[in-house]
Amino acid sequence: MSAIIKTINLTKIYGNQISVDHLSMNVKQGEIYGFLGRNGAGKTTTIRMLLGLIKPTNGKIEIFGENLFKNQKEILRRIGSMVEVPGFYENLTAKENLLINSKIMGIYKKNAIEEALEIVGLQDETKKLVGKYSLGMKQRLGIARALVHYPEVLILDEPTNGLDPIGIKEMRRLIKTLAEERNITILISSHILSEIEQLADTMGIIHGGKLLEEVTFDDFRKRNRRYIEFQVSNDNKALMLLEKHFNIFDYEAHDDGNIRVYSYLGQQGRMNKLFVQNDIEVFKITMSEDKLEDYFTNLVGGGTIG
Amino acid sequence: MFLISILGSVVAPFMVVVASYVHMKTEDPAQLITFDEIFYETNLYTVLIIGVPLYGVITAYLFGREYLENTLKNLLTIPVSRINYIMSKLVILFMWIMLLSLVSWGLTLLLGVLGQFEGLSTLLIVEYLGRFITGGVLVFILSTPIVFVAVVMKNYVPTIILTIVITLINVMSGNSEHRALFPWAAAGDIANGTLQPTYPAEISYTTIFITSIIGFIAAIVYFKKVDIH
Repeated sequence: MSAIIKTINLTKIYGNQISVDHLSMNVKQGEIYGFLGRNGAGKTTTIRMLLGLIKPTNGKIEIFGENLFKNQKEILRRIGSMVEVPGFYENLTAKENLLINSKIMGIYKKNAIEEALEIVGLQDETKKLVGKYSLGMKQRLGIARALVHYPEVLILDEPTNGLDPIGIKEMRRLIKTLAEERNITILISSHILSEIEQLADTMGIIHGGKLLEEVTFDDFRKRNRRYIEFQVSNDNKALMLLEKHFNIFDYEAHDDGNIRVYSYLGQQGRMNKLFVQNDIEVFKITMSEDKLEDYFTNLVGGGTIG
Repeated sequence: MFLISILGSVVAPFMVVVASYVHMKTEDPAQLITFDEIFYETNLYTVLIIGVPLYGVITAYLFGREYLENTLKNLLTIPVSRINYIMSKLVILFMWIMLLSLVSWGLTLLLGVLGQFEGLSTLLIVEYLGRFITGGVLVFILSTPIVFVAVVMKNYVPTIILTIVITLINVMSGNSEHRALFPWAAAGDIANGTLQPTYPAEISYTTIFITSIIGFIAAIVYFKKVDIH
């Protein structure tokens, strides 16, 4: 499958700060690409560069196989986008706002606006001014505006920001439906792991402006490491015993006496016996696998609030 | 905003006509104030005093609202080219200023008829229609530095401060024979046919157009390069 969005060493520097650092991403046609990173990682800056709102310091952007800055007008016509909180003319209704967009775009398809509003469930809000909309309604209207011209690619920057749990679920359902029914390539950015995990086919993890990892969820699940997790009364002693008797060095110690052993899977009975014989109490034994949260934390580190 | 701007444009004709009428009826009944005088004074106040801050606020509104309402990123990703964006706003600004100039002219005429001022003729009406339009066009041409400030600062306050400074200089240079060198004061004189002989007329036209072109180029160059956050 060819890359419909491709960046090559994309870089953005503000003064002394590198906001995006030699980022090379590949979004394949027809997939949902989850662009995952903490707040301030560089997601929105990257997306704004993809949409021509910010000029890169260095690097290249190719969309639909063409250089963005050589053919920006034609490329952007084929993209629908919503960047952060969508802005509207609040003294107008939803339909009036979309009509302005449609006229500027030159969309003459009958019912395009009604269709877009129906997809997002705003078809009945004919008289309400956008200024009176809730955040969730504005987010949905933002998606409607992104869809009204039948784009081939949808770029959504944190589309669930500020939504309640029901709103998040609705937005997720909507995005999945769009990908399946309209075969649109979707690039969605988020700092919420579960959102990306439930939606995306491919995940790109960005941290400190760098793309640390780009992996399909199929590959992620295949190489996802399984482990035996023990909860013991003396984790130091337990680990020393594992090293001595099993020659195991592939382990992790966690809080509250939890240890994870990544090798000799299936030998948990023998390990348990070894612990008990050496006066170590074993409170729990489970077989598990690395969650995305653990994977993400290991990749980007922790320690600060993002 | 549109209705407020209409109110702004009626200030000059209303005050001039009312003040003239009161003066005529109370202080000097023998003196006849003519249409020529009320048209002249209204146009003068509009171009030199009211127009700059009023049209400055309109400029700040037109260019600032897309930042305020967070709609600029939508427009630019439609896509609307950055130059087209600026040009479209300038077209709207021009139409708005022309409309307000016509309102000002029309109201002066109407109030003058109601106040039964002397000296109304078709020639006078047409002559001052031309002068009001000229004044409007010149103030529009000189709006480009204000557009630049509005685009850079994205805020009403610096724009209004600039227009107040311009207005202040207009007032202070009102009796100066060198006012032809200040573009906005020169615009007032051109609109009313009162250019001072101190400098050739070409100097005034040149300062107006150079100021306008510098403002226009600065606005375009800045807006083309700036990152939209």
